[in-house]
Amino acid sequence: MPTWQLRLLRGRPGSSPRLETYRVELPAEAYLIDAVEKIWAEQDRSLLFRHACHHASCGACGVRVNGRERLMCITPLREFSPDGVIQVEPLRHFPWLGDLLVDVSPMMRRMAEVGFAIIRRDELTADRPLPEGIEQITRFEDCIECGLCLSACPVMAADEAYLGPATLAAIERMLAEPRGGDTARLLTLADDPHGAWRCHSAMECTAVCPSNVDPASAIGRLRRRLIVEKLRRWIGGGR
Amino acid sequence: MREVPRWKRASGWIDLRGRREGGLAFLLMRLTGIGLVIYLFLHLYVLRLLAQGPEAWDAFIAMAKSPLFLALDGLLILGILYHALNGVRVTLLGLGIGVPHQARLFWGVMALTLLMTAIAAYAIFTIAG
Amino acid sequence: MWIWQAFTGLLLLILLTLHMVFNHFVVEGGLRTYRDVVAYLSHPVVFTWEILFLVVVTAHALMGVRAILLDLGIGPGTDRWLKRGLTLVGLGIIGYGVWLSWWIRSRGA
Ligand code: HEM
Ligand code: HEM
Ligand code: SF4
Ligand code: FES
Repeated sequence: MPTWQLRLLRGRPGSSPRLETYRVELPAEAYLIDAVEKIWAEQDRSLLFRHACHHASCGACGVRVNGRERLMCITPLREFSPDGVIQVEPLRHFPWLGDLLVDVSPMMRRMAEVGFAIIRRDELTADRPLPEGIEQITRFEDCIECGLCLSACPVMAADEAYLGPATLAAIERMLAEPRGGDTARLLTLADDPHGAWRCHSAMECTAVCPSNVDPASAIGRLRRRLIVEKLRRWIGGGR
Repeated sequence: MREVPRWKRASGWIDLRGRREGGLAFLLMRLTGIGLVIYLFLHLYVLRLLAQGPEAWDAFIAMAKSPLFLALDGLLILGILYHALNGVRVTLLGLGIGVPHQARLFWGVMALTLLMTAIAAYAIFTIAG
Repeated sequence: MWIWQAFTGLLLLILLTLHMVFNHFVVEGGLRTYRDVVAYLSHPVVFTWEILFLVVVTAHALMGVRAILLDLGIGPGTDRWLKRGLTLVGLGIIGYGVWLSWWIRSRGA
């Protein structure tokens, strides 16, 4: 079995963080999350990190791997060479709680403000008969609220007040399918210097999103909608 | 929770670690934008020579035809071309058009910029040199 | 604000291209001599065109400066002052540019 070298960012708020190297033996079919869990289980129980589902649906295990935002549970070890070092650091632009752990509540609060529903009723299967014992078919939204896009965004780096790619994508998603929701409120939320207009099209959110949300395109559609809305109000005399 | 110092946040957009084409395009856009603003101020300042009469201006033009100035001229053109062409890219992307092709568009912008700068540089040195 | 940045940017695409081409390539010997400039600006269409260019670049450039300064973590209060400050700078630049062009133009008459 190959031995992998991991360099993890360690430390707690209040002291300056340092990089520490660990070695773990694992087959090449394993994933980065397995390596980090093994370090936690066998070498250091104080290691802070987050995970739950192990299959890219809870969004808990986002980190930066060699500088790039990834989900640990779908980052295969075979991508790396046992001779090299896999450097793992916490996401940027979130309050740091220690080791690989960050506080994602600022993003979660914004998503809640939008009223983003993670689970929706599935309309594709709406007119089909339900299987025995199943009450309703639901569908997950693409966005798993992992925060990778926020960490990758250079505007987020500079502006804490920026709504951020995930939230703007959520607003656009809600507007596309409002289901009786308050679209005017969402548009006001987006139409802000720190909202849809703050984006500088660095395109990093779409590049790192593990779930094909494509926040960059969503922000573009949101802007188009805001422009049309403005023109309509302007021509229609403030209606 | 560790507070990130303000200066560090403010310089976040410069940090290219882990970034790809889009991040690089944004950084270059900003740097060329800043360069152009500085140029604009210098340019308008120099234009005051026009108000001082023919001698002052024509002396300046004679100096501006030195190879050093012409080279700087080339640099200016490089900056303008990148900023302008990427400006078109960013405007489209910002409206959600062509996002899946953004990296290819970036390399296209780069190639066009270099090509057009080379042509312009050739023209400058043959006409003015 | 972004939309104005993009809009003025696209206008500049035309205005600046013409500016560069006229100043470099059309005139014999490359850069204009004093006489060339005066003659050039004497034409009313050119004059209007150049003033339009002046206004649009100034607006685009200063909006751009604000966008960059916003990333220094400026709050809404400071931003209000920043906007006022930049507007004054912009008016100053435009005033200077118009005065200068007018003055040059008057030399040709
Ligand atoms: C020639 C045609 C031009 C086009 C098509 C253009 C286009 C653009 C666009 C679309 C942006 C927004 C970028 C973003 O959202 O990040 C921008 C930003 C900017 N432009 Fe231009 N521009 C042009 C010329 C100029 C000139 C002549 C100047 C300076 C005198 C200038 C200075 C700036 C600055 C300072 C920014 C802000 C950069 C930032 O926010 O990072 N631009 N330009
Ligand atoms: C190296 C290339 C350039 C040359 C040789 C050049 C030359 C000149 C000359 C001779 C004038 C005065 C006559 C006229 O209005 O045409 C002028 C004016 C002007 N230039 Fe340029 N220019 C160059 C590049 C630029 C660039 C890149 C910008 C924008 C950032 C710019 C902005 C302006 C403005 C705004 C005016 C009008 C000033 C006024 O109305 O008083 N120029 N330029
Ligand atoms: S948009 Fe993509 S990268 Fe951003 S939080 Fe949602 S799933 Fe993660
Ligand atoms: S552990 Fe759930 S997304 Fe990785």
